[in-house]
Amino acid sequence: MWSRIISRLLTGVVVAWASVTAAFLALHALPGRIQDILAGDVEYPGLREAIAAEWGLDRSLPAQYLDFLLRIVQGDLGTSYVLRQPVTEVVGSQLMPTVQLALLGGVLAIAIAVALALLTAGRGRVSRQLASLLELVFASTPVFWLGILLLMAFSFTLRWFPVSGANGWKSIVLPSLTLALPTAGLLAQVLREAMEKTLDAPFVTTVRARGVGEFAIRARHVLRHALLPAVTLGGWLIGGLLGGAVITEKVFGRPGLGTVTLGAVLTHDVPVVLAVVLLAAFIHVAASTVLDILYLLIDPRLRAQ
Amino acid sequence: MRNNTISTSAAMAIASMIAGASVVQAQDGKPVSGGAITWGVATEPSCFDPHQSSQQAAFFVARNYIDSLVGKRANGSFAPWLATEWSISPDGKEYTYKLREDVVFHDGEKFDAAAVKANYDYVKKPENAANAVALLQDFDRAEVVSPYVIKLILTRPDSSFLESTSNVKLGIISPKSLAKGDLCGGGAGLAGTGPFVFERYSRGQSAVFVRNKDYKWAPGYAAHSGPAYLDRVTFRFLPEAAVRAGALTSGQVDLIEGVQPTDVALFADQAEFKLLPGPSGASTSFTFNVNYTIPPADDVRVRRALRDGFDLEPLVKQIYLGTVPRAWSIIGPANPAYNKALVGAWGNDVAGANKLLDEAGWTGRDAEGFRTKNGARLKIDVGYPQPYVRDNREVLIQGIQAAVRKNIGFDLNLRIITAGEYAKNNAAGNWTIYPNTDNPSDPARELWDMLGSKGFLYSNIAHPDPEITGLIDESLRTTDSARKRELTDAIQKRGVDQGFIIPMFAPSWFLAAKSNVNGLGFEAGLDSPSSAYDFWLAK
Repeated sequence: MWSRIISRLLTGVVVAWASVTAAFLALHALPGRIQDILAGDVEYPGLREAIAAEWGLDRSLPAQYLDFLLRIVQGDLGTSYVLRQPVTEVVGSQLMPTVQLALLGGVLAIAIAVALALLTAGRGRVSRQLASLLELVFASTPVFWLGILLLMAFSFTLRWFPVSGANGWKSIVLPSLTLALPTAGLLAQVLREAMEKTLDAPFVTTVRARGVGEFAIRARHVLRHALLPAVTLGGWLIGGLLGGAVITEKVFGRPGLGTVTLGAVLTHDVPVVLAVVLLAAFIHVAASTVLDILYLLIDPRLRAQ
Repeated sequence: MRNNTISTSAAMAIASMIAGASVVQAQDGKPVSGGAITWGVATEPSCFDPHQSSQQAAFFVARNYIDSLVGKRANGSFAPWLATEWSISPDGKEYTYKLREDVVFHDGEKFDAAAVKANYDYVKKPENAANAVALLQDFDRAEVVSPYVIKLILTRPDSSFLESTSNVKLGIISPKSLAKGDLCGGGAGLAGTGPFVFERYSRGQSAVFVRNKDYKWAPGYAAHSGPAYLDRVTFRFLPEAAVRAGALTSGQVDLIEGVQPTDVALFADQAEFKLLPGPSGASTSFTFNVNYTIPPADDVRVRRALRDGFDLEPLVKQIYLGTVPRAWSIIGPANPAYNKALVGAWGNDVAGANKLLDEAGWTGRDAEGFRTKNGARLKIDVGYPQPYVRDNREVLIQGIQAAVRKNIGFDLNLRIITAGEYAKNNAAGNWTIYPNTDNPSDPARELWDMLGSKGFLYSNIAHPDPEITGLIDESLRTTDSARKRELTDAIQKRGVDQGFIIPMFAPSWFLAAKSNVNGLGFEAGLDSPSSAYDFWLAK
């Protein structure tokens, strides 16, 4: 038990190290010197040298890399080149709005997908095809456009929800729905197909023979089987939610990591990009651990091994 | 179909407004104090410290809490502000400002000559790597003559210096704030002397400013004096144009900037809304800067052929629905330094362009119909850095791309590149065509920026055209304003005549507001909307 936890933790550290190293190398391999990019269209003798000295860009790459690793170990993520503020402060202040949005979006997506799958799997052709069409539309609509459409309908015309702001529950309804619908579309397709396969399994006939009601069969037995392939999609789901959050935040003018990350990548703001990569690596490790535990909860057969 | 209706009704409304664009204030009734507005803006400032910022689209936010020594009027003259009067020594190297004695910073500190010196010293100090240092090229030191008289001393004459001291980038921050440092995050710690006090910044969402009750030092060009009318101004960051427009139509914000041509019809001639177009090209036009040292553009015939090989006017009209005029010069038409003589002097001469290319030896044709010479295609890249792409400008370039291909067999190749690739090409001096609108500053300084031997485009190019760089250097050194005018006219003429620069259109800002928001205007020195100082809400 302990050895498993320790090996998981070690793997996590290695994943985090490998991803920040890859990001560090990638950022420095991109064309253009950082001091030139930061100076932009401003030309002044000595300005580039001053910028390089300010951020330690005048040292060799290995020296910058070692210094960066040492600082991370001490919990110091450095200062943003562009925002000129401590990265921990910038990322810290933007983390919660994004987590809130992604979590709510994820919960909504799962709820919609499960409801759609439960209601339509193995039922009449018309309802299945209708649901399938709906899912296809959701899954293939760009998040950006979906957000604008929802805004036009529910904010600009009906005026039920505000455009933006992180204040009050009303402001998160449309963004989380925007984020949830494409994910829900894909998830529902996977779930229904898995459920329909399971509905044909011999054990379902056995359960039916015991006189269990149709809904209980679906919710307690069939759904559980169908969840396994859906959980496998979990990693993709988390990536999709975080990626979608970037666009959703931009459309709705919401605070969050998305805007910060986008800006940082465009301006080669190395410390901010590396902090976000580190965070993403952490989320990946945490999520895959949770998914492993979920498998055990869903499928008792795996617990015995 | 929808586009057609917009272009006919709205374009005419806009065209008539542009004709009267010298009037930048729209006033109705007698102003009253009180109320709060929310202003939906496209660009979130990445840094609120004006000394450090380089975001042209964010400077009007800074104008609410930052004042300057002098103010720039729409006609190009200067008005008293924190300085009541100023004088320039005959050799053009000493600028003496007499300061107001009743000005107080938001943090209670007194404004005086020592405070001005602290700001100029801060910007000039290399370790601070302040962006505004570019305006202090020839600045040597500041001397406190008496508590309220400051002398700024230059190493050599700089005809753009008075304008620089009106620039928001050299606005005055409380020395206490300066000493504390880390001002990029804004908030109450960033104390200026402006009509609004910085209350709070929520990253990714909004910045809130409250009225400075003690304000009585408005710039000479303002519509009123004393404190601002509004109690509170909230800037809400809404990067999507459609979302900004929708937020205004549904009443969630009171005022927006960056109205797209397609959204103009939502607000023009509507009882509940008002639309205010700003001056077109108050600083520079949107231009192609052609690197004339890189083949094939090192041949003047190729540059002139590109300049004249298409009809610009219908392209601009089609994309901007008549909301902005096509450009004739490097400097914009609303800028007092605009060279009017260039109107009609070039462009749309396809036959002439083809003749020039034939003469230059581009007589072959390849399989795709492009001209060739010794087997090489007539091709020039337009490297457009992605962070600066906005406003459908890439669509305009694509339109030109298609036109010159069809008309003269010219392969104008638009490439959206990263800021890094641009920085690399610029450092190597091998960029080819750079689409640009320059930050507002003195016209000689702007021309120097784009075409001068040490400006941002040509500083890494070994042998720029001696004639134009000579004219630019002279225009920056002259102390005679009539001579300066001759020189800036001559620079514009040579730049366009030689095809160093191909002007495209004169960009303009569009404000849209609820009809009860009054006093909206534009500030010449910023080439953008003004601060909210003169705004008021009708009861």
